[in-house]
Amino acid sequence: MTRMLLSIACHVYGLATIVYLTHLVRQLRGLAVVGRVVLAVGLVLHGAALVVQVTGQGGVPLGMAQGLSLLSFLLLAIFFAIDLVYRRPVIGAFVTPLALAILVPAFIVPAELAPLPEPVRGPLLPVHIAIALLGVAAFAVAAGVGLMYVVMERQMKGKRFGLLFSRLPPLMVLDELNRWLVVLGFIALSITLATGAFFDSTFGFHLDPKRIATLIGWILFALLLGARSLAGWRGRRVALVTMAGFCILLVSFLSSYDPGRFGGGGVH
Amino acid sequence: MDLLCIGVSHKSAPIELRERLALSEEAQVQLLQRFAPIGEAMLLSTCNRVELYLAAEDLAAARQCATAALQEVAGAPEVLHHLYEHQGERAALHLFRVASSLDSMVVGEPQILGQVKDAFELAQKIGSARGELTRACNAAFGCAKRVRTDTGIGRAAVSMASAAVELAGKIFGGLAGANVLVVGAGEMAALAARHLQHAGAKRLVVANRTLARAEALAKEVGGVARSLDDLGALLVTADVVVSSTGALRPLFTRELVAQAQKARRHRPLFLVDLAVPRDIAPDVHELDGVYAYDVDDVQKVVADNAAARVAEAAKAEALVAEELARFVRARAVRAQVPVLAQLRAHAEKIARAEVERTLAKLRDLDERERQSIAAMAQAIVNKILHAPTMRLRALDDGGERLADAAAQLFGLAAEPAVLPEADDAANREAPRAQGVKG
Repeated sequence: MTRMLLSIACHVYGLATIVYLTHLVRQLRGLAVVGRVVLAVGLVLHGAALVVQVTGQGGVPLGMAQGLSLLSFLLLAIFFAIDLVYRRPVIGAFVTPLALAILVPAFIVPAELAPLPEPVRGPLLPVHIAIALLGVAAFAVAAGVGLMYVVMERQMKGKRFGLLFSRLPPLMVLDELNRWLVVLGFIALSITLATGAFFDSTFGFHLDPKRIATLIGWILFALLLGARSLAGWRGRRVALVTMAGFCILLVSFLSSYDPGRFGGGGVH
Repeated sequence: MDLLCIGVSHKSAPIELRERLALSEEAQVQLLQRFAPIGEAMLLSTCNRVELYLAAEDLAAARQCATAALQEVAGAPEVLHHLYEHQGERAALHLFRVASSLDSMVVGEPQILGQVKDAFELAQKIGSARGELTRACNAAFGCAKRVRTDTGIGRAAVSMASAAVELAGKIFGGLAGANVLVVGAGEMAALAARHLQHAGAKRLVVANRTLARAEALAKEVGGVARSLDDLGALLVTADVVVSSTGALRPLFTRELVAQAQKARRHRPLFLVDLAVPRDIAPDVHELDGVYAYDVDDVQKVVADNAAARVAEAAKAEALVAEELARFVRARAVRAQVPVLAQLRAHAEKIARAEVERTLAKLRDLDERERQSIAAMAQAIVNKILHAPTMRLRALDDGGERLADAAAQLFGLAAEPAVLPEADDAANREAPRAQGVKG
């Protein structure tokens, strides 16, 4: 049941991807609306699949397959929200293929979970994981938006304009999007760290690449938000730091799903 | 008398050189007066071109005087490497293409025709444009008008102001929320201000050295007028700046903009410089978050998406070729046929046409009545032309000005198409009418 729902959602996303890519090339208004509707359908199906899956398992989205599935859902949900507020369907041409690339492997990796140690089975772990994934998704979109900013700004400074120039959103919009996404990601990251610290206090703290990378990422984004509001940082510099910060968090994310760890002790 | 065009344009010279050739009206008059002993002269000076149009018997002397003058104005011998030159029919073709906006960087932009007219009026006012240049310019204006009305080139024209709006949109996402500062209140600044308002700019400030002119423009575009005294403070609240003043040195220096950027907390600042010489120092663009575009940069943006106009431009070129042929034919006829013969041919053609029209209406006349009507028309022509004929014959030598005046008075230049097929007599007197000087 879950797998079927997820598979349909995946196909719907594939359709949405085609629509958004066509929109990028053709710039037809109608396609943006079609994309929005198709994506909404996909999100509803995907959301239903996630709910069924989580309730079927007693509320724990733990395995890598579910992690990838939830991450792609959050990515698309964030884009959907941006599109509703800012009407920038162009971003969809970049987010939908990425989300699809994350979701497809979810069908391949094993969905079964190794049995968890009893004390971790509380409601806090799924919250920890879901919010961590929300953070990753928000920073992923922020980094993508940052990349668009760098590309646009380069063309404005170089006074040479490529094909994407007329299609990408204006610099100020990209900068504003970056701000909101980094704030969202930072809040999620902070909650992740706080809940993670709670686990550490229960099971004992040990330094691993995941924790180091997450902490460095958190400090970097804290400094970035500070520089933005106090020193008036904006634009290209912020975009570059966002991209660097995302790369650090990506290390953290990937090491969370280190296959060796599932057989062993820690899950977090 | 032959035509010569010497100058530089965006195609041959960089902006650094073109801005050195920018001249005040006074200096333009002085420059034109240098050509008084040689022949006729007109100076077309826009931000994209500085061209001298000359008409002289001795083209070598005219050429020498022109290169010397341009070199002197530029203050550098390197200007010689960027000069181009057209002669005779080719000079006329160039003038036609320039006036029709086919040689513009933004093909089809509408301002150039007005600029050519201004140049011609100035030259006419000080007497440096007489018969030959007047005919060439009138033909060029007619040609430009046809190109504008008969092709889509003008409709598709994207002015520099709209290119600036497009670029500003790529930074701010629209002008509605942006503070727009227009510096200068001249024609170009006014055009830009109107365009910006049309494109949605709500908060407009017009700054000018003389406040009164700023107020007039501000009133028209629903903005606020300011004096130029405190440009730094105006910059702090501005997001988009369009500058087009006659200042000879940059108003916006790197220091000034850098200081303003600090106060504006490094919000992006978009500066468009429509002036030549430039109002914005070139190194301003290097500042973080500051985008300064000069005339060449802005027009490159427009040129990038001008592909759609290629077809219309081809149509326009065909029209120009047609108009040029007409002009050249008329000129050749003029060179061979005395004005007198033209005048007679012109008058007789009118008389004949009117007689035919009248007779077509009066069907029930007999042959005698018809002949007497034709004779009456011929008599009127003879009587009217008698005095001018006598005067022009009397002034056989040195009567060129009077002949030119006659040609202009009777519209012989404006209706060249009448001439070639005018009269058998005219054709007999001009057996080499087709032979055109290159």
